[in-house]
Amino acid sequence: MSNTSKPILEIKNLSKIYDDGRQALNDVSFSVNKGDFFGVIGLSGSGKSTLLRCINRLIDPTSGQILFNGVDLASLPKNQLSEQRQKIGMIFQHFNLISRKSVLTNVLLGKLGQASLLQGLFVKFPQEDIDRAMYLLSIVGLKDKWKYRAGELSGGQQQRVAIARCLMQKPEILLADEPVASLDPATSHGVMDHFEQINKEMGITILCNLHFLSLVRRYTPQVVALKGGQKVFSGSSSGIDEEWFKRIYGEGAKEVQIR
Amino acid sequence: MIDVFQKRFEAEKRKAFVATLFVDTFLIFYSFFLVYFLSLSFSHEVSYASQNLSGSFLGMMLPVSALIAFVWGRWGRSPGVSLVYRTNRYLKSVVRDEEKRQWWKKPYGVFSFVILIGTFVLGFQITDVSFRSLLSEEGMEGAKRIFTALITPNWSIIGLVLTAMLETIFIALIATTLALPGAFVASFFCARNLVRNSRSASFLSVILRTLFNFSRSVEPVIWAIIFSVWVGIGPFAGMLALMLHSVASLAKQYAEEIENCESGPIEAMEATGARNIHVIWHAVVPQVLMPFLSFTIFRWDINIRMATIIGLVGGGGVGTLLMQYQGLAQWNEVGTIVIVIAIVVWMMDFLSGKVREALL
Ligand SMILES: Nc1ncnc2c1ncn2[C@@H]1O[C@H](COP(=O)(O)OP(=O)(O)OP(=O)(O)O)[C@@H](O)[C@H]1O
Ligand SMILES: [Mg+2]
Repeated sequence: MSNTSKPILEIKNLSKIYDDGRQALNDVSFSVNKGDFFGVIGLSGSGKSTLLRCINRLIDPTSGQILFNGVDLASLPKNQLSEQRQKIGMIFQHFNLISRKSVLTNVLLGKLGQASLLQGLFVKFPQEDIDRAMYLLSIVGLKDKWKYRAGELSGGQQQRVAIARCLMQKPEILLADEPVASLDPATSHGVMDHFEQINKEMGITILCNLHFLSLVRRYTPQVVALKGGQKVFSGSSSGIDEEWFKRIYGEGAKEVQIR
Repeated sequence: MIDVFQKRFEAEKRKAFVATLFVDTFLIFYSFFLVYFLSLSFSHEVSYASQNLSGSFLGMMLPVSALIAFVWGRWGRSPGVSLVYRTNRYLKSVVRDEEKRQWWKKPYGVFSFVILIGTFVLGFQITDVSFRSLLSEEGMEGAKRIFTALITPNWSIIGLVLTAMLETIFIALIATTLALPGAFVASFFCARNLVRNSRSASFLSVILRTLFNFSRSVEPVIWAIIFSVWVGIGPFAGMLALMLHSVASLAKQYAEEIENCESGPIEAMEATGARNIHVIWHAVVPQVLMPFLSFTIFRWDINIRMATIIGLVGGGGVGTLLMQYQGLAQWNEVGTIVIVIAIVVWMMDFLSGKVREALL
């Protein structure tokens, strides 16, 4: 983590209005430095998912800029999208593996963006890719499960396969949309520990939506808070005190611990 | 930026207004038509068939309807507004929060309800529903004659019937098989969730769906008549008719299955930067393959039944045989054929049901 102060991602005046007129993001700006582990918090419906999905253009933002290594993703033409997406990994709340295919195939599919037409259709990747996939599976502790159908694994295991699939891309930044929201507390910490390891050891920048402030305090040094589509806080997560908590989550809210 | 949205919203509203105008004009015109025929059929006991819509009636009523529709749609909630707005994703929110349950208190609700009732009443008048002819002595006599013949089949022609039945089954099989690849490929272009992001694919999608809707809305029997003129009476004409219908039906069913498939894996593959064909191949195809197979077997099953009917208009197979005996009024032979058809169709239905159950 030598060049920590260089921004890898700059969000500038980002807004998103859905087709039905609902404004999910309203003039959001912040920047993420290389090597950061960044949390995104806010109430349900505050626009967290919308923010992440705008970044890799699963949805098109209405206005604003998303500068990724200086390239504006918001205005990038469709035909140049693939090249940028290959550098951006994404983790989903519901894992989104191909449940009928093997764990190993699922991990290999992370390379789909780089694959040629035939290679991708028949999942015929060179031995070094297969070795790397096995290595990544061993990192997330699932090496002996490589033959299983992905749908047969538990939620926590599926999320770890999804992490391995993401790493297969060799991403510069990883977007995680509530990666532990459908897992139990113990499993959640297991998965979050993997993110921490990836961030520290591989130097991959992470932007992670989280529901629990306790997870933010424990794992993400930086945080941005959304409320009704607007940014209400950004900075060090230790700066979120009682008062800020009330401002983000509303007066009546009480903090819940997840241990 | 709000302006961008506002502009699109206004454009959608203008488009919706045109659609609304069409729907309302049709409905109001139809309501005039209903009132006209209902009053005729109740006042002078004249049958529907003896009536003709005169050109002047059309010429008068159409502009009047359009005018009423314009006024109603522009300044109020007409049935068209309700229909068009609720099905438009940009405009849904305008009507979303309105009370939906109390439709009977709104003019558009009452109007729609009255039209519906009127349609049923006129329907009964037009169909000439008459229990007298169903249960008259003369009628019963005819029924007795045909049913006695049908339950005393002539088994000496069984070989002929089975050969023709086999022809029917194969017509259906080949029609289904040949329809499969075209329907498979086309269905991915018809599925709205896949083409949404590309203008050219959306365009192709609209063309394909229009074509398919058209070929589906013309019954296979009618296609068989057309093809029997083109390639001559026989199994080939029947097969072509069924194939055309099957491509369209399968493509529609396949596309619906694709539209219902989980979007999560699709997004995960898109997020890796994969090209569209890879996304579809890995994230969509595994999800829909088994349902596709199930639909296809069911389609074969349906096609066997349809092939029988198509035979009646010269599409070959057992239907053609049936038509010949019916023309000669040889009711015992007709009885044989009907029994064979019933058994075979029942068997295929049972079999295909079991296979589909095993697949899913
Ligand atoms: N496809 C969509 N079409 C219309 N409105 C949408 C769509 N997706 C989300 N929204 C709306 O946008 C707002 C923000 O949604 P978003 O999913 O980004 O919130 P979130 O912070 O991720 O919430 P959660 O914690 O429940 O996941 C919500 O009001 C939601 O109803
Ligand atoms: Mg969300």
